[in-house]
Amino acid sequence: MSQPTTDSATEETAESDDRLIETEVSVSETVTQPAGASTIIDVGDLSVYYHDDQALRSVSMEIPERQVTALIGPSGCGKSTFLRCLNRMNDLIDAARVDGTVELLGQNVYDDDVDPVALRRRIGMVFQEPNPFPKSIYDNVAYGLRVQGKADDIDLDAEVERALRSAALWDEVKDQLDKSGLELSGGQQQRLCIARAIAPDPEVILMDEPASALDPVATSKIEDLIDDLAEEYTVIIVTHNMQQAARISDKTAVFLTGGELVEFDDTQTIFENPADPRVEDYITGKFG
Amino acid sequence: MASEPTDGGTASDRPTLTMSISQLRGRIFELISAGATIFGITVVMGMLVYVARDALRLGAADPGWYLVFFWTLVVPSLGMAGYFAVRDRAAGSVAYAATGIPVIGILVAGGLVIVFTELIDPQEWLALVFALVVAGAIISAHQRYRPQATFERLLVLFLTPILTLYGIPALSVDRAITTPLTGTELFTLSFSTPALLPSVRELLFVLPILPAGWILLLGTVTAPLAYGFGRLIAARRDDERGRLELVAVAVTVVAIAANIGPLVGLSAEGTILVTTALLVPTLTYLEGVVRRREGFAGLAFPVVLVGGTFVGAVLATSLGFASPDPWLDWSFLTSAPSRTPEDAGMYPPLVGSILIVIVIAMSAFPVGVGAAIYLEEYAPDSGRLGRFVDFLEVNIGNLAGVPSIVYGLLGLALFVNGVGLRDGIVIVAGLTIGLLILPIVIISSQEAIKAVPDSRREASYGMGATRWQTIRHVVLPEAFPGILTGTILAMGRAIGETAPLLMIGVADSVRSVPDGFFDIAAAMPAQIFSWKSELAPEFRTGVMAAGVITLLVVLLVMNGTAIVLRNKYQRE
Ligand SMILES: Nc1ncnc2c1ncn2[C@@H]1O[C@H](COP(=O)(O)OP(=O)(O)OP(=O)(O)O)[C@@H](O)[C@H]1O
Ligand SMILES: [Mg+2]
Repeated sequence: MSQPTTDSATEETAESDDRLIETEVSVSETVTQPAGASTIIDVGDLSVYYHDDQALRSVSMEIPERQVTALIGPSGCGKSTFLRCLNRMNDLIDAARVDGTVELLGQNVYDDDVDPVALRRRIGMVFQEPNPFPKSIYDNVAYGLRVQGKADDIDLDAEVERALRSAALWDEVKDQLDKSGLELSGGQQQRLCIARAIAPDPEVILMDEPASALDPVATSKIEDLIDDLAEEYTVIIVTHNMQQAARISDKTAVFLTGGELVEFDDTQTIFENPADPRVEDYITGKFG
Repeated sequence: MASEPTDGGTASDRPTLTMSISQLRGRIFELISAGATIFGITVVMGMLVYVARDALRLGAADPGWYLVFFWTLVVPSLGMAGYFAVRDRAAGSVAYAATGIPVIGILVAGGLVIVFTELIDPQEWLALVFALVVAGAIISAHQRYRPQATFERLLVLFLTPILTLYGIPALSVDRAITTPLTGTELFTLSFSTPALLPSVRELLFVLPILPAGWILLLGTVTAPLAYGFGRLIAARRDDERGRLELVAVAVTVVAIAANIGPLVGLSAEGTILVTTALLVPTLTYLEGVVRRREGFAGLAFPVVLVGGTFVGAVLATSLGFASPDPWLDWSFLTSAPSRTPEDAGMYPPLVGSILIVIVIAMSAFPVGVGAAIYLEEYAPDSGRLGRFVDFLEVNIGNLAGVPSIVYGLLGLALFVNGVGLRDGIVIVAGLTIGLLILPIVIISSQEAIKAVPDSRREASYGMGATRWQTIRHVVLPEAFPGILTGTILAMGRAIGETAPLLMIGVADSVRSVPDGFFDIAAAMPAQIFSWKSELAPEFRTGVMAAGVITLLVVLLVMNGTAIVLRNKYQRE
């Protein structure tokens, strides 16, 4: 936890940084990829070290806007680490050191003049474990709007309802918005965290195995939700579940042990016709 | 645990399900732990009974007196308790709460009465409340109309309370500026400004007449308290009712009481405080009992206690039995120390200790919690600075173990010789003991802050919250109950501390009540200590024991209030 942040600084950055740089994705023109999807996040030669251990090795990737990008790979290969680089959550870990660039719409988020707080207001995150605050359901969802100073200008009740509806949780909790978020079941908590992340209307949503603790019904609810979200937001999701990645994502990145990005392509290509034999081994379960 | 010996016919080594696996060691450990617990509790209880026997001088009563009270009080109440325990658990818990809540209420009211008679009169209090309400209104209005102006908000937050409380007072400076080393006079700085802005507090006193003290207390203590408790009721009910009802009932009853009180020789202000503290929490509790329609029978318990005491007293007097002649009685609590044991009292030390505790709380709590927040949330954990912070933390731990007499010396050096305050005054005593408990407050607050899972902090940062917002909205609310617990324990130690008081020259046997924070202090532990060294045996056993019991009760009330506060926050 080491970055100095102030409220006033963040408000300025949040407003001055809305330019858009259209970059055509040049990789492939398959059916799954709508023509003209532009790159929103451009990662270049990203390496991450924890103390002296390298967790990511020179990863480069262009993440398309308003699509679902899945990150798959064996446990410990650096998927969470990669995700946390995108919104500079790794700044909070003293041991972590990041090299390389992550460009959000052309601006390197690791530049000195970028305020990580402003960055996180544009890139929301859902964590591997559900982590609602010990506050009421309403306050959980309203948290982002409140800390980002948006709560006064809008109809907060309506925004909370919208976010809970988008997260497919509204019908279950509409009569008990005062209840503590911790009193929900695990799956409901995770959907609450999703509602919390989308309430302030970020551009990109990072999800770290959002369905790992859920039963099939809740999982399919979340998958439907991700499908809907992709119409408005860019979603980047880590998953251990191959079928899930195949079902919901437009693009898939495969990491392998050691923090190497082996292949990044359209999901269909990755699952049907991968270029790298290790990817095929991994997907078919031959790879540990 | 029934076990049957397995017959050796089976070839396999697998344990059968009925075979008992030895739990002997576990059982022995359990018994030893239980024994240690019981031993500890009995020893402490034994000590309390021993002290209480001296303080209450139970031996002075006739056996007949005991007999009367045994039949009017002990038998009925134990009988009821037994019935509740066996037949009606719900009524039991109602019974104890309905007895305990008024008792705590009265004890807290006792403290309030002292504050309002010795420290601040109702008019001053009204002015203070009024000034703070105005300040609060200005701050929230600013926040509402200019939510973006962060720096301005900081200024408003800081300046408004000062301006409403103090205004811009007249300033006059007259001092010679000299060179630091040789002391040659350079020039004299001398100017004075007129008072520019009267404070809101002073504005109130411009009014030609202010209502009588009891009416002010009714408005500033009873009504807000009833409203606060009424909100609790409203929150528990489905129909959201209870706020105005409770205010109306409380204000009416308390107002009537305030007019009856003076007729029987009580002060109107005192009556208000006591009835308020008695009535409001009790009514709040009763509403819950009535609504749940459960355990009504328990309500008879306090009635039986009060009735039994009353009947017993009437019977014992009319039969002519001598009652015990306790050292600890009303006059002990309300009179000053004296040379004769019969007249000795502990009012000045009681008030002094309360004042000292106020100073301790106001100094050690903010500094301690602030330091804990800095060390946990801001200070770096690695690098050279991180190692320095580690070193600091270890030494804070060491400071917690430094003998209290050393702190007395430190207080003497710092506040008396250094700052130049008079020795033996309330503020010096409070600050010295505040220093003494500071490490404990820091360490326990740190523990409470550490106990907030990092995932919550990550969630908050991930939402684009700044560090301050994370601390303010996520870390502190969750750590607060723990911080409060640590502080309670530290305050408990603080109020009984004697050695530092002796070092900084707190006098014993002060006959007058300290008149504010800069007056000579008296303190309960110092007083008890001095009674212990009196020649007359009555002082060394009876009066001293009464003092100890008073100290313990004050301690229990403080802890009790804090525990209630903590539970309230924990539930939210
Ligand atoms: N805070 C940390 N400190 C030190 N090393 C870490 C830290 N977090 C992760 N690592 C290391 O970085 C590597 C990648 O971890 P990461 O959490 O990114 O894996 P992952 O792909 O998300 O695994 P999983 O699928 O199990 O969640 C691991 O070897 C791990 O030991
Ligand atoms: Mg992970």
